[in-house]
Amino acid sequence: MTITAYQILAPLASIVAILYAWSLVFRHRKTVWEASIWTIFWCGIAAIAISPDLLQHLTKVTGVQKRENAVFVSSIGILFFIVFYLVMRLEELEQRQTRIVRKMALKDVEERAEKQ
Amino acid sequence: MRKIAVIPAYNEERTIESVVRGVQEYVDIVLVVDDGSTDRTPMLAEAAGAKVIRHVENSGSGAATMTGVQAARILGADIVITLDADEQHDPHDIPLLLQPAEDGSADIVFANRFGRRNLIPFIRCLFNAIGNIITFTATGRWVADSQCGFKVFGPRAVRELNIRMSGFEFCTEIVRESVQHKWRMAQIPVKVIYSEYTLAKGQSFAGGVKTALKILLRSFIR
Repeated sequence: MTITAYQILAPLASIVAILYAWSLVFRHRKTVWEASIWTIFWCGIAAIAISPDLLQHLTKVTGVQKRENAVFVSSIGILFFIVFYLVMRLEELEQRQTRIVRKMALKDVEERAEKQ
Repeated sequence: MRKIAVIPAYNEERTIESVVRGVQEYVDIVLVVDDGSTDRTPMLAEAAGAKVIRHVENSGSGAATMTGVQAARILGADIVITLDADEQHDPHDIPLLLQPAEDGSADIVFANRFGRRNLIPFIRCLFNAIGNIITFTATGRWVADSQCGFKVFGPRAVRELNIRMSGFEFCTEIVRESVQHKWRMAQIPVKVIYSEYTLAKGQSFAGGVKTALKILLRSFIR
């Protein structure tokens, strides 16, 4: 059996991602529950990389058996990632706007509290 | 203990006065966070005796609630009570909710609209059940009425609470905060009054789906 670069890199990336998630738990930025879900997800990625035959079960369900179909499905995956990234950016912008609105609202309260 | 009520309000001129007057006898200060209303909500709230904080732009109930909590901290609150401005919560339930926070047995008290025999439309029960399941999936903690705006935060929760979500999804984020900070939790059955006005003010199905997606996405990418 020949081992491809992907089969080495994907599990390594998974280990890094899992360690990062648990480091966030220790820094109180992620809950144990969230880190567990994250761990399951990355373990799945690593398992598929190490043993691609696992995907045979997926082909039975999805019907993706040809290479052309694989390209098609991968394209959807990439588009999904782009949408995911855009949603994250939008969330950041929304939060930034909320912080500005809140600062303006609280300025008056702080001034009144200082006077008292 | 200094108790402050936080009422986020957006275009609630029909109900805000009676809500403020109803809450006043149980707290030291009533704070109404006007979330960019285009009607007379801030004027009427002020006339009823509330302190009003204004958002220049509509930012969502989560954003308004967090603004209220921050203002309450500035004003020296030990306990914060949050409730909706649409008259669905009965202010007479406030002492019941305050008790666990005052005697130190809970850091956060959730009202439970389903713990009593309340007349709740089926569609509301269904949406709330879905909300509870999504909240449990995202946080790992089961709360019987996770989407209710009627809550009490004890001194520790007032200090530590940090809501980042702006919309209705903040209810789930509060449950997440309770897990994150290991707050002790209490759940108290309360009365709920659903009127045509209250029902019209609730989230639409599309809004609920959007909220659910945001919660799941957030809990994953955080």
